[in-house]
Amino acid sequence: MTELCGIVAQFDTPEALRSAAAQLRRSGFRVFEAYTPYPVAGLDRIIRPGRNLLLPLVMFGAAIVGAAWGYWVQYWDEALNYPINVGGRPYNSWPAFMVSTFEFMLLVAVAAGFFGMLAASGLPKLYHPLFEARSFERASRDRFVICVERADPRFDSDAIRRVFEEHGAQRIEEVRA
Amino acid sequence: MAMTFSTELPVDAPVIAPDVTMTSLSEQVSGRVLTERAPLWWRTGFGVGFMLLTLLIIQMGWLFINGIGVWGVNIPVAWGLALAEYVWWIALASGGTIVSALFFLTRSPWRSATNRIAESMLLSAAPCAGLMPIMHLGRPGLFYWLFPYSTVMGVWPQVRSPLWWDFICLLCYILMSLMYYYAGILPDLATVRDLAKSRSKQIFYGVLALGWRGSVKQWQNQRVVYAIMSAIMAPMVISVHSVVGLDFAGGLTPGWHDTQFPPYFFFGAIISGTALIIMLTIMVRWGYGLHDVLTEYHLNAMAKVMLVGSLLLAYAYVWEAFGPFYGSDVAERTEFLRRLSGFAAPAFWSEKILTVIIPQLLWLPFVRRRQLLLFLISTGIIVGMWQERFVFVTSSLEHNSMPSSWGHYFPTFWDWAALAGTIGLFLTLFFLFLRFAPIVSLAEVREIVEEKRSK
Repeated sequence: MTELCGIVAQFDTPEALRSAAAQLRRSGFRVFEAYTPYPVAGLDRIIRPGRNLLLPLVMFGAAIVGAAWGYWVQYWDEALNYPINVGGRPYNSWPAFMVSTFEFMLLVAVAAGFFGMLAASGLPKLYHPLFEARSFERASRDRFVICVERADPRFDSDAIRRVFEEHGAQRIEEVRA
Repeated sequence: MAMTFSTELPVDAPVIAPDVTMTSLSEQVSGRVLTERAPLWWRTGFGVGFMLLTLLIIQMGWLFINGIGVWGVNIPVAWGLALAEYVWWIALASGGTIVSALFFLTRSPWRSATNRIAESMLLSAAPCAGLMPIMHLGRPGLFYWLFPYSTVMGVWPQVRSPLWWDFICLLCYILMSLMYYYAGILPDLATVRDLAKSRSKQIFYGVLALGWRGSVKQWQNQRVVYAIMSAIMAPMVISVHSVVGLDFAGGLTPGWHDTQFPPYFFFGAIISGTALIIMLTIMVRWGYGLHDVLTEYHLNAMAKVMLVGSLLLAYAYVWEAFGPFYGSDVAERTEFLRRLSGFAAPAFWSEKILTVIIPQLLWLPFVRRRQLLLFLISTGIIVGMWQERFVFVTSSLEHNSMPSSWGHYFPTFWDWAALAGTIGLFLTLFFLFLRFAPIVSLAEVREIVEEKRSK
């Protein structure tokens, strides 16, 4: 409970949070994160600008892998390992394999998206120093929280507090863990 | 605001009541989950469901000991109630994905408060569907032979069969629906975690929420994946129910052998799935007192979806009647005439009344706002769809191409026990969802609250 992790502030409205975040960025802070009960419009452009194409690409790649895997399982089964002549149909009767190929494709894409989302969000992570902060308690309900982390190269307690107070923070505290 | 018989709900009618705030919403919905003692109606509903579930277990025990001869199935009618109910359950489940994924893509505001009910319904109905064919296998313990894996027997499933496609579809569908549900509920579990007072509940929901913090990064990831998942789930559910239609279309039995069945079945899924969501929404709204979150707006919108489903189904019925007379197959025509005037005629005609004629009342705006009327119409639709599947599956088999081998099918007590039992399984699972998971998507409704506030 001694090491300082960051300074956290709680706001009543998304507008206050947004202007505080913009101010922090203008003042040169880089390592800060906002915690909100729902995705606040425009906030991601302030805190994480730029397009995030990683997860869509992962899902797209997984769809291709899933389709190839699904087709391969059926091809291996029907044409290579256990060929049965069904009414003279070709062993590799691809139209009949398409339905399951389609389903495998979607299953693998969704699974990649789901687990990719968890991995990219750093979950599961049952403990985080932020959970110690009283201001954070309502961030999943009706309050908007911002935290400047100690790792920020320009970290300066007083300057950060001034920005928060200027934008009407309800509560400012230090996060220690 | 005076409402007359034919007044439409105004375009700018509030999606949720004006006095709902982010604070009240979170506390109201989470409070239902965190309460120490479940309300009486919950205990009654769960009790009834659990009793019927016991019946299902007894039925399965009897069935597995004696074989499927305890049901009324025989030759010529080898597919009885169990297969008809398989189609019925999977249609009810599919409705959940249609409301939740399709209307996410259209950004319909009414979807936000009802999608969790729809998904809980889907996850409760899908196991009921999956159980039916397994019970019907005759040797249910060997159902795992359907998995495409390399065994020491060296034998593989016949992957050219629609029945195998169906197995793969249902398996993928349940797995994908679970992930879709969990990706959506994760932020709400964090809300419950932060509101929980007792240590055990904090740990329970803390573990379930996986440490969700609602950071910008997490929201970004969640939203982008959820949107793509919705775009995947929408065609997925169409494929699932269409492949069920292919099971029948692929057979040579008169009345089944028709290319229209994949879309026909999907239309049935739209109407019956929406009907069940409306019934459950009315129940949740009344039971949990969520009148200001689940409003007339939602019921009105879903009633319109149900009306569209009814029109689509009417269109499919017309083609079902057109086919036998346009084609030259005598068996096909005989079978259809038997449906119109034979043994199954009462079920055939009442099903048309319940699923097509009565739902036309939904054209009247007044009806779309009356919960009791909506509830009754929805019940009628679900019963009607059950009759539709029943007539479709059994009547066709009763009158195959060889008149000398015609016969009738009479469900036995154990057939009905399977129906009552799966209803019990559904109710048990749904009431567990009601008890342990927030039944309204809090994160999405907050956005609606916020939009209203900033206006």
